[in-house]
Amino acid sequence: VSPFDVAWLSATIRLATPVLLASTGELVSERAGVLNIGLEGMILSGAFAGFLASYFSHSFLLGLGAAVLAGASLAAVMALVSIKARADQIVTGVGLNIVALGATTFAYREIFSGRPAIELALPQPIALPGLSDIPVIGPSFFRQTALVYVAFLAVGAVWLLLYRTTWGLSIRAAGELPTAADTSGANVDRIRWSCTIFAGAMAGLAGAYLSIGRVGFFTEGMSAGRGFIALAAVIFGGWRPVGVMLACLALGAADAIQLRLQAEPSVPSVLWLVIGLIAAAVVAAKWIRRRREPWSWMMLVVAISFAGIGLGMFVAAPQWRFPPQLWLSLPYVIALVALAGVVRRVRMPTALATPYVRGHEL
Amino acid sequence: VRFRVAYAAAAIAASTAATALALLLSMIIIAIAGASPVDAMRALYEGAFGNRVQIAGTLTKMIPLVLVALGWIVAFSTNRINIGFEGQILIGGAAAAFIGLEVTGLAAPLHLGLALLVGVTAGGAYALIAAWLWARRSVNEIISTLLLNLIAVQLVSWLVHGPLQEPTRSFPRSDPVATSARWPKMVANTSLGYDLILALLLVVVVSFVLRRTTFGFRLRFTGANEEAARRAGIRTTFTTVLAFAVSGALAGLAGCSLILSSETGTLTDNFSAGYGFAGIVVALLARNKPAGVVPAALLLASLRQGGGLMEASVGVPASLVLITQGLVILLVAATAFVVERLWVVRVDAPTPAPDLTPAASMVKEAGR
Repeated sequence: VSPFDVAWLSATIRLATPVLLASTGELVSERAGVLNIGLEGMILSGAFAGFLASYFSHSFLLGLGAAVLAGASLAAVMALVSIKARADQIVTGVGLNIVALGATTFAYREIFSGRPAIELALPQPIALPGLSDIPVIGPSFFRQTALVYVAFLAVGAVWLLLYRTTWGLSIRAAGELPTAADTSGANVDRIRWSCTIFAGAMAGLAGAYLSIGRVGFFTEGMSAGRGFIALAAVIFGGWRPVGVMLACLALGAADAIQLRLQAEPSVPSVLWLVIGLIAAAVVAAKWIRRRREPWSWMMLVVAISFAGIGLGMFVAAPQWRFPPQLWLSLPYVIALVALAGVVRRVRMPTALATPYVRGHEL
Repeated sequence: VRFRVAYAAAAIAASTAATALALLLSMIIIAIAGASPVDAMRALYEGAFGNRVQIAGTLTKMIPLVLVALGWIVAFSTNRINIGFEGQILIGGAAAAFIGLEVTGLAAPLHLGLALLVGVTAGGAYALIAAWLWARRSVNEIISTLLLNLIAVQLVSWLVHGPLQEPTRSFPRSDPVATSARWPKMVANTSLGYDLILALLLVVVVSFVLRRTTFGFRLRFTGANEEAARRAGIRTTFTTVLAFAVSGALAGLAGCSLILSSETGTLTDNFSAGYGFAGIVVALLARNKPAGVVPAALLLASLRQGGGLMEASVGVPASLVLITQGLVILLVAATAFVVERLWVVRVDAPTPAPDLTPAASMVKEAGR
């Protein structure tokens, strides 16, 4: 049986959604020059606030509102310390993550210890009329809950914002050369404030999706590194909306397959074929770029042998078992390898993580 | 010299104020949670310094904090940010535990020495992955170290559920490591081992190396102005990678202490227990000066040690300590610019433009 089926595609979309929500917001704030390491903490506090509000109000929408508010207020602290007080953005982000982990754990134990564990009702998936009847794509892409559609619509909205509005131009200027933005009359601090808060709100939404959108309960530290994955996705996606979306989908696909593999008795043989072909494609793409260099044909040989090894493993179908921890670490390993592979070809916003002080040279 | 004293005074004042404010905010949180802040603080103090055993516990918790903070200072002196201490602690400690469990028949000092050597090397090697990715593939070291932390957690989890699990296979932990590989106890019937002496010694060593040796000068020059350092003939990339490895090695040593100096001496899931991040708090509180690390580590260690009793006797969850730590980071970060500014203004005030930024003063130092 192949693990690459409709259920896998559908899980890919569901698992990509929280990362996509967070990294779309983070993309905007990084384009404005604010690197938000505190993303993880904002997701976590969104997850908690969302659960808390919908637990007591029995309303999903109020939960969403609370999550957005929680993410945004943590982001406001981030903005206050890193923009107003010009503190180091990375240090501030690390501090926020610790505060968020401590505060959510503290509050969860204070409020919910002794209460019966309940699972909140989950929002129903919405089948888009027409589109959801397409075979394969329909059930996997167009029968999802509302937040999933919001995440993908947000990518389009952010693209329009960044590249088709004056505001977007100011945002990009604030991240590339804040002195120039300042000179041309844009208020760098105000731009950075609003972009940071937008990133926090989106991270809060991502957290709400994790707690009340997908499982209906909260666990301590449930963001489980998704904030860091989202930061990697922004880099992997080359600081461009569509690139970030593709990066999130790729990471979501890896996450979906590792979840599946944990349950399989041994590694399905088709996986070897897929890995071999992906490795071959990566090397072949490199060969196409550098085919005029001497010895470049070696890359072609490597590409063909990768594909060959994959095919051989597919046919031989060894019954190997790997520990679940290997699969659990796979998304992080893939994110790391992806960063190592692409980072040289993309350029980060010049003023990223640099506080702007009027009168100081960048 | 007067400026330096003024700067130090401002820095100490700001750090103290930040800590006091963080504690005050924590007390407000305790009050909101419905407990008496006074009782909670008394429990915190009793738990940290109440008797011989508690004091020894506080000092034991200080050791990894000091080592991690030194690691941060070394990497940060070249302007690189290592937030992978959690992972480096886990890998270093796991490697030391492996030696402690699998190597037999060595005399006590040799066995301990070997375990430490392997642990330190493993921690450094794990940091080198991030350093290599930074140097050769320009991968941001912040993201890579964070991801490596998450990978290390899974690696240790696999070890304690698989190859190194205790023989009955009912608990996710290893057997205790051989006594010959343990740190000898400094105070009988407490947790405190001789690794405290090593940690304090390393504070002096790191301080000396950074300030008084050519190697330390290269590190600081690279950190202050990479371009200028390269033009002055320093191999900046190599220097930075080396600093990163040393930083990871110090975290690896912290990992060794957490296993070889612990009461049980077993390898467990997630034994780094947030020391990797708390160590960063220590370094920031000390404003990246080795001398400040000891008091800052003592403070955070006492919070950690006292948090347990506070939870047990007053019913305030010990995760409050995490909130306090995070607040300390935010407040120290927020005041750093103010302190810096104060210093720059004082230096700049007399004559119009004597450029005494750290890089410029180093160029002068180099010319001398």
